[in-house]
Amino acid sequence: MKSRITSERLRDLQSITDAALAYLPLEGLLDELLSRVIGIIGADTSAILLLEDDDTTLVPRAAKGLEEEVERGIRIPVGRGFAGRVAATRRPVRILNVAEADIYNPILREKGLASLLGVPLVVEGSVVGVWHVGTLTERAFDDEDVELLQRAADRAALAIVSRLTERERGLADALQRSLMPRLPELPAVSLAGRYLPAAAERLGGDWYDAFALQDGRLGMAIGDVVGRGFHAAAIMGQLRSGLRAYALDGAAPSDVLSSLSGLLRQLEPGRTATVIYLVVDPHGGGLVIAGAGHPPPLVHTPGEEPRLLELPASVPLGAARHARYEDLMMVLDPGSMLVLYTDGFIERRDESLDDSLHRLMATVAEGEEDLEHLGDTLVDVLLPEGAGNDDAALLMARAMPLGDVLVARFPAEVQSIPGLRRLLGRWLDEAGATRRDIDDLTLAAAEAAANAIEHAYGLAPGVVELHASTDDDNVTVEISDFGNWRPPRGTHRGRGLLLMEGLTDDVEVVRTGEGTTVELKRRIGDEAAA
Amino acid sequence: MNGSAEARVDYHDAVGVVTLTGEVDIVQASQLREHLLGAVRNEDLGLVVDLTEASYIDSVGVSLLFELAEKLSERQLRLAVVLPDGGLVGRVLSIVNLGSVAELHPSVDDALASIRAA
Repeated sequence: MKSRITSERLRDLQSITDAALAYLPLEGLLDELLSRVIGIIGADTSAILLLEDDDTTLVPRAAKGLEEEVERGIRIPVGRGFAGRVAATRRPVRILNVAEADIYNPILREKGLASLLGVPLVVEGSVVGVWHVGTLTERAFDDEDVELLQRAADRAALAIVSRLTERERGLADALQRSLMPRLPELPAVSLAGRYLPAAAERLGGDWYDAFALQDGRLGMAIGDVVGRGFHAAAIMGQLRSGLRAYALDGAAPSDVLSSLSGLLRQLEPGRTATVIYLVVDPHGGGLVIAGAGHPPPLVHTPGEEPRLLELPASVPLGAARHARYEDLMMVLDPGSMLVLYTDGFIERRDESLDDSLHRLMATVAEGEEDLEHLGDTLVDVLLPEGAGNDDAALLMARAMPLGDVLVARFPAEVQSIPGLRRLLGRWLDEAGATRRDIDDLTLAAAEAAANAIEHAYGLAPGVVELHASTDDDNVTVEISDFGNWRPPRGTHRGRGLLLMEGLTDDVEVVRTGEGTTVELKRRIGDEAAA
Repeated sequence: MNGSAEARVDYHDAVGVVTLTGEVDIVQASQLREHLLGAVRNEDLGLVVDLTEASYIDSVGVSLLFELAEKLSERQLRLAVVLPDGGLVGRVLSIVNLGSVAELHPSVDDALASIRAA
C-alpha cells in the first residue's frame, strides 16, 4: 500500500510498537495506545471494543474520553449501530454527523460526539474487535486518518488480544479450579477426581462434582458444556450450581436433568451440554443414575472385566424442549468402582475412540486399589501429553468394604439416622447377619442415635459415633455421644428404650464424664429365629 | 430402603383408609402426622391405617399411632391397624403393645368390616 501519511505522523505511529509497550501491564498498554492515537489523529475520544466468544456481541474494554462506555457494561450486537457495523462489514466506517446517524450506543450521543471513525481489529483474518476515535466538533475524517487508525489497529491488535486472552485465561483457569469441588470424605465410598484444562488457547466447559445430599446419600455429577471459551466456562459454572440446587433435597436424577435442561435453554438458547448425574447410597450401595447424551460410565467389579454401563438413550441438555430423562437403578457392591469421564479424556488425535476406551478399561482392569494413584495412571496412559483441544474431566467412586470393626461418625442431626441405619445394615450383612438381625439391630441403633441427638447436645452441633464389632456370632453395636445427657422428654423416648430392649439380647447405657454410650448386644446368624 | 414415606388416603363410605408406605420414622414423622390427623372427617365412623406396605417404623412412628388412637378415642371413633404377616413393623408394634389402643387386623377388608359392625 502506498502511504499517503506524512512522515511526522508515521513516526508517531511507530511509537505504538515501542518495545516499552510490550512490558506495560494490560491496563497500561490500552491506556497508552488510546492516548497516542488520540494525539496522532487529533481526536477527543477513543475506545477499543472486543468481540465476545459468542462472536455476536461487542463489549467496550478500554476508553478515553468515553470512560462511561466501559463502566456501564454496554453490549453492542454485531451489525447494529456504528461499532456493530464496523465489525460486521470488516471495513472502516466514517460518520460525519452523529446526531443524524444510526447509533446503537446512547453514550456516544450523550457525550456530545459530532463525528466518528471506526476500524476493525483483525487477528489472523478474523475480526476480534473495533477501535474507534471521535471528535466533539464536526470533522470529516480523511483517508489518511483512516489509514493511520487502521495501521495502529493492525499493529496493536495481536498484542491487545493476546494480553487480554492471557488475563482472561488466568481468570478462567482460577474460576475453573475453584469450581472443582473438595470431594466429601465418607467411611463407605472413596472418591477421586481429575480435571485437565485444554492445551489450546481456549477454555473448556467440563466439570465434575460430588456432594452430600440432605438424606445422607451422595450426589455425583460430570458434565461437558458444548463449545469453548470463557463463555462456555461461565455456563458450566451456572449449570454446576443449578444441578446442586435441583439435587439437594434428593430429587431423582432424571428430574434433576430435566430441570437443568430447562435452565440451560433459558440461560442460552442453542447451547447444549452433556451430563451424567447419579445418587449413590454410600451406606447401602444403591445407585440411581441418569444421563443426558454423555459417554457411558465404566463399572468395574473385582474379579470381572470392566464394562460400560448402558444408560437409556438420551439427548443432551438444552437440545429439546421439555426433555425427559430416564433413571437406571443398580447396586454398587463393596469393592466395585464407577468411572465417569468426559470425551476430552478419550479423544486423542492419534487414536480412535475405541482404542482410547480400551486403554481406559485395560488400565482400570489392572485393579489399582488407591483411587488417587489410579487417577494419575489414567491421566498418564490416556493423555500422556496433557489434554488436547478439549479439556478433560474424570470422577471415580469405589464402594469400600467395611472391615471387621465398623467406626463411623455422623453429625448429631435427625437426617443422619437413615445413613447410620444403612451403613450398619451393610456391615451386618457382611458380618453374616440374617435379614431379621439386620432389621432389629439397625432399628435399635437408630433409637439409640435418636436419643443421643435429642438429649445430648441441645441446639449446639454435635457428633454421634457408631462402633460395631463381632465376637464369633455376638455383635456389639455402640452408639456414643459426647454431650451432657439429660433425662428423656416425652413418651416416645420411653418406647425407644422399650424397642431397644425388645429387639436385642442386651442393652446397657454407660455414662462417663465424656458422654454417653448405649451398648446393644445380639447373637446373629440364627436363621431359625427369622 | 430409600428414606422416604408416603401417605395415601381413600374413603370407603364413612371410613377413611390411610395407606402408609416406606419408612414411618423420625425423619418423616411430622409430614405423616399431618396426613394422618387430616384424614379423619367429622362424619366418619373410624379410621383404618394400613401398614402392610410400610417397611420400617420407629418409636416416633409408634407414638404417632398412639396419638392418633387417643385423638380418635376422645371423639368416640375407632382405630384399626392393618399389619403385615411377620416382619419388622409387626414385631415393633407387638413390643409396644399397640393392640392396647387399636384393633389389629390382617387385611383392610377385615378392618373395614370390624369398624362397620361396631
